[in-house]
Amino acid sequence: MPAAVASARSQLARLDALTACGPDAFLLDLELEQAPPDFAPGAFAMLSPGHGGGPVIARPFSVYDRLDERRLRFLIQVLGRGTRHLCALVPGDAVQITVPLGNGFEVAPAGEPVVMVAGGVGSAPFLMYAQRRIAAGAAADTHFLFGARSADRLYDQDAFAALDMPMHTATDDGSSGYHGNLVQLLTDLLERAQLPAEARFCACGPEGLLHAFATFARARGLRAELSLETYMGCGFGVCNACPIPTEPSGPLGHWPWARTCVDGPVFALSSIRF
Amino acid sequence: MLETRLGELHLASPLLTASGTFGHDPAALAFLHPGDLGALVLKTVTPEPRHGNAPPRMVEFEGGVMNSIGLENKGLAYWREQVAPKLASVGVPVVANAGGHCAADYRLMVEAFSDMPGVAAIELNLSCPNVVGGTQFSSDAVALAEVVSLCRAATSKALWVKLSPNVPAIAPLAQAAEQAGADALTVCNTLAGLLIDWRTRKPRLGNGCGGMSGPAVRPLATRLVWESSQAVKIPVIASGGAESADDVLDFLVAGASAVQVGTACFRRPDVISLIAADLRRILAEEGLRLEQMVGTLRWPETVSC
Repeated sequence: MPAAVASARSQLARLDALTACGPDAFLLDLELEQAPPDFAPGAFAMLSPGHGGGPVIARPFSVYDRLDERRLRFLIQVLGRGTRHLCALVPGDAVQITVPLGNGFEVAPAGEPVVMVAGGVGSAPFLMYAQRRIAAGAAADTHFLFGARSADRLYDQDAFAALDMPMHTATDDGSSGYHGNLVQLLTDLLERAQLPAEARFCACGPEGLLHAFATFARARGLRAELSLETYMGCGFGVCNACPIPTEPSGPLGHWPWARTCVDGPVFALSSIRF
Repeated sequence: MLETRLGELHLASPLLTASGTFGHDPAALAFLHPGDLGALVLKTVTPEPRHGNAPPRMVEFEGGVMNSIGLENKGLAYWREQVAPKLASVGVPVVANAGGHCAADYRLMVEAFSDMPGVAAIELNLSCPNVVGGTQFSSDAVALAEVVSLCRAATSKALWVKLSPNVPAIAPLAQAAEQAGADALTVCNTLAGLLIDWRTRKPRLGNGCGGMSGPAVRPLATRLVWESSQAVKIPVIASGGAESADDVLDFLVAGASAVQVGTACFRRPDVISLIAADLRRILAEEGLRLEQMVGTLRWPETVSC
């Protein structure tokens, strides 16, 4: 069984709290019956309403925070049917969860600088990543760049601001931090030597941002990793509905597609065509 | 309590996976309790590797999903080397599923599966709506009989034929498969459909059309199970939208001897174990045995269909 699903279990969780976050997102706290094993930041869960109704297939979400052994927090932007149904639940309701899934980010060792690039709810995998880095004593070498259309879409930014690491925000409308997008901010910071160019650059966010970031990272020769989201049917590797084209010369190149759910969702930029 | 006979095969349960919904190999079995699954039906294998269709490959609608995976698989040589050796020790009968472009392809696949000790039965995917020529055998009784006869001659293992719902009448096709030597029929594959995004004026699936599955197709599958089971003596295996013990029992009453669970596995990988537990509870509460249920539909005398 692929390592990415070997420890995954499916169970019903209890919705503990649902807190509005920004104009169109929620923090969803779930209490699981069985504590999931340890998992990497960027690992994800498949969620759906627990007692029927709602979508036919579940939706993938990175685990945002592990509040304790059995309680997981998710940051969910309401975008379509699946997320609307989830965010209409109330505390006490059951939520179907399969977790942990996917590879997640390999946390860079303490001596290696990391730059995290998050667009909107693309911040989801990075709270736990930052926590791990800080626990390893690498806070000063962990840079968090957080961008969105406007300040109110820098979801739950206090949770990141409370961590002791360098943080920069960027908004398209200039309502918080740098006035511009994340790639412009990256360019600016690199040119002013505010970021180490030899760092591991990890990005997650809307597809437009990731494409712009990928182009930028390739042009600059940055070491980059992307956490991707595609349509997914199952999340555990059986349906082949989440293909991502592989780079023929890369480690996944023996087959033209990788499965985002079990080969990812985190990919080295050099291993995929994106 | 759930023991099921399917021709010569003795299964621990009437619940099977549906091809394409539980993987290319036995890995996902870890989600299920032993004894709950009757047989593991794996994803279609073709003689040569197939890269599959352009994404998006699966989209949802109210009541179901549409897929157009395009039979992505690494081909027979890979499967023989990497998958087949794992099958004998998985603790549940494995059903290999064969795909191809022409009758000779199917024969080749059946011969190969026939030589693999871990394969208990072979299902012919003669009805995939997502590949060119995927349904040529499923809509023409003569062509269907030819390919099934060829495959029958190539194996003594149980041979199942998976039929298409995209036909005006299923009985002649079911009979053609039976007469050509099929041991069981799987009824049915996905229903050809099209989902559109009006804003972009494009199909929502990368390959255009796709196959419908999930709860929305269950009434159609139930009718086809009933019609085909009336037309043949070999067992019929239902496939089409089952997601609960009640759905399974409905299919048995309609004439199915076993039921494949497909799309429901996507939402909940252990759903077959949940259904098995519910089935045991219902049978105990009602004092029923599974085989008493099969083909017991009481058709109202005043109604014709």
